Amino acid sequence: MGAEVLALAFERPPIDWHAVAPELVLLGFGALLTLIDIAALERGRALMSALASIGLLAAMVPILTLALDGADRAMFGGAYVIDDYALIMKAIFVLAGYVVVLLSVNYVAEGDYWENEYYQMLVSSILGMVLMASARDLVTIFVALELLSIPAYLMATWRKRDLASNEAGLKYYLMGVFASAVLLYGMSLLYGVTGSTMLSDIAGGVAAGAAPPAVVTLGVIFVVVGFGFKVSAFPFHTWAPDTYEGAPTPVTAFLSVASKAAGFVALLSLVFVGFWNRTDVYQPVLWVLAAASMFGGNLMALRQKNLVRLLAYSGVAQAGYMLAPLAVAGTSAAVADRALAAVVTYLAIYAAMNLGAFAVIIAVARRTASAHIDSFRGLFRYGPALAVAMTVFLMALAGIPPLGGWFAKFEIVLALISASTVAGTALGVIVAVNSVIALYYYARIASYMWVEDPPEGADTSPISTPLAVTAALVITGGATLVFGILPQWVGRFTEVSLLAAAG
Amino acid sequence: MEAAVFIAAAAVILVGAVGVVGSRNPVHSALFLIQTLLGAAVLFVLQDAHFLAAVQVVVYAGAIVILFLFVIMLLGVDRAMRLDIEPIAGQRPLAVIVGVALAAVLLTVTVVATGELTGVRRAAGERALDNGLSDVERLGRVLFSQYALAVQATAVLLTIAVVGAVVLTRRHGGHSGPSGEET
Repeated sequence: MGAEVLALAFERPPIDWHAVAPELVLLGFGALLTLIDIAALERGRALMSALASIGLLAAMVPILTLALDGADRAMFGGAYVIDDYALIMKAIFVLAGYVVVLLSVNYVAEGDYWENEYYQMLVSSILGMVLMASARDLVTIFVALELLSIPAYLMATWRKRDLASNEAGLKYYLMGVFASAVLLYGMSLLYGVTGSTMLSDIAGGVAAGAAPPAVVTLGVIFVVVGFGFKVSAFPFHTWAPDTYEGAPTPVTAFLSVASKAAGFVALLSLVFVGFWNRTDVYQPVLWVLAAASMFGGNLMALRQKNLVRLLAYSGVAQAGYMLAPLAVAGTSAAVADRALAAVVTYLAIYAAMNLGAFAVIIAVARRTASAHIDSFRGLFRYGPALAVAMTVFLMALAGIPPLGGWFAKFEIVLALISASTVAGTALGVIVAVNSVIALYYYARIASYMWVEDPPEGADTSPISTPLAVTAALVITGGATLVFGILPQWVGRFTEVSLLAAAG
Repeated sequence: MEAAVFIAAAAVILVGAVGVVGSRNPVHSALFLIQTLLGAAVLFVLQDAHFLAAVQVVVYAGAIVILFLFVIMLLGVDRAMRLDIEPIAGQRPLAVIVGVALAAVLLTVTVVATGELTGVRRAAGERALDNGLSDVERLGRVLFSQYALAVQATAVLLTIAVVGAVVLTRRHGGHSGPSGEET
């Protein structure tokens, strides 16, 4: 036996250091933050936000060099893949994380919060998302999901002395753990049927005729439902409004953009690589989820009085728009590529416009200490720049040209129509109808800001916005405008395909 | 030899199981549970499932039962309980019915499916695929080669979870004065 063991001496798996450089940079900065926290304690506070933002920007460097290099890289037998799709998603996560740091700087420093640990949580969560973008096997996907979720659960409770924040964190945690359990059960069924955790092997293993259809159907549905919680699709959205309202607002911005995008990136990899051969199973599930999310989110958003809750329900509807192209993706390879590009485009533009809307809410709430819709009455009188910015973001979310949102919606509808099936066209009509419903509540906020008078007794001296929040507003506002006016510019980056990996 | 080990382990398990249900003191019940789990670990070793045996001891006997003990002691019920009161009406007859039903199902399965799920060891041909390595070693090789990245990510995850748990449980949040606060 001794000789056999020697013959099998352990060899380190080949690691492409360039390919994992973005993760290593984030890991390094996360460790640095922790070490400074331990060594300097409270004296390190001033450094933390700066170091976190430097770390996130530094992580962009290897992402850019990998993009310039252009070659697809795969490690661990294809469990970890660096391709154009992974890189664009990594860039979205890292840049969204950078904007969240900008939004957090004043909020966390001025409130009664643990500051050092906050940025450690944020960087770890983004590390999980960056891993998720490249993960192509079930184990890596699950570990990445937990790595991005657990810091997010903790960040939702960061306003420790506020009961609403405790409720937010607890609800998010319980629902998240429940979703993880459902997801794991689905994954174990898929592994049991196919004998592999690799998505590319699962694609063959679940093909019609190769496996018992009942088990495959259950596995696919459980996995989709598990991520349905993460992307807050109706009817798995119940945690979102309470969590969004109770969590610190920068954390809410992070959850509504980065966390949702991370759920989508995993769902995209699973649908386009893992379940590719079982369109008969995943398409109906996603069709129903998409339609229910659009109607459910928009109809409930109509009645909201709190802007953060309103954005939570609008986020449910936006998740529906993004799920819609997946429901027709399996029609043909051309439609699949178009659907993937549409979802990635939507995620990029949604990140910009939603983070921007939260930036305005944070800026206004510094004065009014409330996100109630009434506190936005007459905003134009005392915060004209903020009112203009908020209008831009709301109109972009509604999909009015020439702002970013219209191009995103246009791509979605185009992908749906290009399938030229009844289901696809019907979903396209549903997207259009819902855009009209959504316009009502977005426009109502705009009219509150522009037309109405400020509430009586309100302080109407001009609002001063901190530099970091202004920077966030400029970045997100600029992106929203550029994506709308020069759509071909963003379109060039989101022309990605996952099908080559599916083989 | 194998039969002797099996009988000894089975006896340990059965005594432990009866002890869990029969003890008047909840702490004793938890300790009997450890005994049951250790017996099951021995059975796993007997089946060449060394990793399962180790996990059984480390996770179940080591972590989960200790958690039970913490809860029992925190709730202050670490003394003999009065067993003549039923907290939920009809609980005990129901427990008997469910227990008998479970025993009936398990017995039926073992009688009907004899030869398929009793302790038949894997054929020599199957075992040759292991290259003479134990399952612990094979598992270790897979974890540190194919799944190396996931293992590393788990390390980060555990670290950050500890940091977060400490923040959440500390009594005072943020800094409360120019000197900082070191409660």
